[in-house]
Amino acid sequence: MPNYKLVYFPGRGRAEVSRLIFKAAGVPFEDVRINTANGEWPGETKAKCPFGQMPVLFVDDKVLAQSKAIGRYLAREFNLAGKTNWDQARADMILDQFEDIGTEIYKFMFEKDAAKKAELSEKFNSETLPRHLGYLENLLKENNGGTGFFVGDSLTWADLALANAYDHLGGTDAPFANSPLLAGLIKRIRATPSVAEWISTRPQTPF
Amino acid sequence: MPTYKLIYFNARGYGELARLLFAVAGVPYEDIRVERASWPNEYKAICPFGQMPLLEVDGKILAQSSAIARYLAMEFGMAGKDNWEQARIDMVVDSFGDILQDMRVPYLETDPEKKEALVKQFVGESLPKRLGYLENILKENGGGQGFIVGDSLTWADLGVANSVDYLKLMCPNPFENFPLLAGLVQRVREIPQVAAWIAKRPETAT
Repeated sequence: MPNYKLVYFPGRGRAEVSRLIFKAAGVPFEDVRINTANGEWPGETKAKCPFGQMPVLFVDDKVLAQSKAIGRYLAREFNLAGKTNWDQARADMILDQFEDIGTEIYKFMFEKDAAKKAELSEKFNSETLPRHLGYLENLLKENNGGTGFFVGDSLTWADLALANAYDHLGGTDAPFANSPLLAGLIKRIRATPSVAEWISTRPQTPF
Repeated sequence: MPTYKLIYFNARGYGELARLLFAVAGVPYEDIRVERASWPNEYKAICPFGQMPLLEVDGKILAQSSAIARYLAMEFGMAGKDNWEQARIDMVVDSFGDILQDMRVPYLETDPEKKEALVKQFVGESLPKRLGYLENILKENGGGQGFIVGDSLTWADLGVANSVDYLKLMCPNPFENFPLLAGLVQRVREIPQVAAWIAKRPETAT
């Protein structure tokens, strides 16, 4: 088994899907958290990052950057990417959708003007997010009624990404009030023993 | 051979990487182009996320431009020889996603003064920074005279070559200071199937 080291800030952010993949697969990894506060970042780490950014994944002495590339690599290594090229593409599509939702959140998250921030946040919560969740609910429903997984008939990283989005969206059931199938899948995934254990023991972080 | 349909605007945009893959692979497909004025149309209802591009493979639907391109690259053997190479390719392609993210605000800004400042910052700082990293990655791959990942053409190389067309919306010669990337673009554009496609594709602003 290769030696895995995942390097990121002390938070869930863009590394958590990969951490969930390791945990769901039962594969050990070094969960390195680099702090900006005491100069650890950029420190010596930045120079090792192919694009000067984290997360990065070290597999033995080779390095990989870009959170989705990392996640997909791990998912494929651990058979959590989808069983066929088609299923893998469908999972990729769902991951890209979560990326799009994240992009919408960043639009107001980093907005400095308070009034503009409130306006963007309101638009996100009342219009953008429900629309995106609606699409995902439909997609899930199309997969044999939606009481299983997003893709095929087994866990993929698309399901883990949904379970992870729950935390990014506030960690409550509220955003999913009109998406019962998504809510059900989230509950099932977060209750999976390996995932549940990680959620309860991982460092509690604001992001 | 499956029946392929690509559905997108009459533009290069987020559809062009898929079109380049079809061209290099020599695989026929229906290149459906929707004029912006007639969007949304009947295709919107079948778009999983309400947006194009869409790939239809024997009637089954795939959305999201990267997922589409990766699927085709895998089918056509242009995705790298093992999981690690596939991941390195994904990494390169995703970095262009970051470049496009940086480009969004300056590109969409309508106020001329603000726009000028934003474009200057993009062209002078954020773009060269990201291209610098890519130049290094190319260099680390056997000196950078071949391909960006591995030792054969992959969709990462097509992605690099394709990026010039949208980066030109921001500055005339985006790879001017990046000789290895510029060399790769040249080599890719000279591949007969790529050259033929570029010569015959509809001329569009984006």
